[in-house]
Amino acid sequence: MNTQIEEALKSLQSGNRQDAERALATLQGVVYGFGMKVCGSHEDAQDTAQETLIRLARQLREFPDARALSVWLYKVAKTQCLMSRRKSKFAPAQMLSLEDLMPKESDLSPTGIKSWQVTPEETVLRMELRGRLEDAILALPKHYRLVLILRDMEQLDTREVAEVMGISEETTKKRLQRARVFVRNALAGYARHLNERKSKSHA
Amino acid sequence: MPDRRCKHIFAMLSDYLNAELPVKKCREVERHLKGCEPCIAYLESLKNTVEACRRYQVRKIPAPSKKVREALLLALR
Repeated sequence: MNTQIEEALKSLQSGNRQDAERALATLQGVVYGFGMKVCGSHEDAQDTAQETLIRLARQLREFPDARALSVWLYKVAKTQCLMSRRKSKFAPAQMLSLEDLMPKESDLSPTGIKSWQVTPEETVLRMELRGRLEDAILALPKHYRLVLILRDMEQLDTREVAEVMGISEETTKKRLQRARVFVRNALAGYARHLNERKSKSHA
Repeated sequence: MPDRRCKHIFAMLSDYLNAELPVKKCREVERHLKGCEPCIAYLESLKNTVEACRRYQVRKIPAPSKKVREALLLALR
């Protein structure tokens, strides 16, 4: 569970106005950040945050614990994201086959793997890697994308992700596996390209 | 992937990284990894991917809208 949400709930329940304002800023960060990762658009992320947090204000006293709030928050934000498709990029719904995602032997060279670990000095490369990661996530079909974001970026556990998505834990694990492999393959493609550029510049 | 055995292991690597594999399957993966360079390399790259996702943060977070602040303050009264 997201620990920020736990702290925010305590602050909201304290009844202190300053604490509540801080909690609101925290929850805005959580929901807006989630919206940006899912939708890839500032406007949609802001709409998601606004609608979700207004609904939260109306139901504030109904959450027995932070876990319940966390699951509710992501569930509502997920629905908002799927509804607000003004500028969002949603790849067409499709099934990802594990067989198709399986790497070829040539993809598994140790040099290819090391090359995407850029040093802190390589700011441009870090920016590029970040951009590649964003593109890969936005290229995922939505049900895979949501599972990956909830599990690996928001760091919910499998059970919480299953609850937010309304699917079984087994389906959650399968979607996560395919989503990770899809993103891994996209980043490995970048690593190869990076490797070539590095060898050319050293030649 | 190099052979059928690797394909079988490949399907378990994501759960292995989450420490969500049953003990028996976990041992099976670890036994295979001891002798298979391509699978070790693949697991490493999958780990890097998960790490990149965990580290990723949205850069600019705007302040909550006036409408949200008002709704919250009303709820706290």
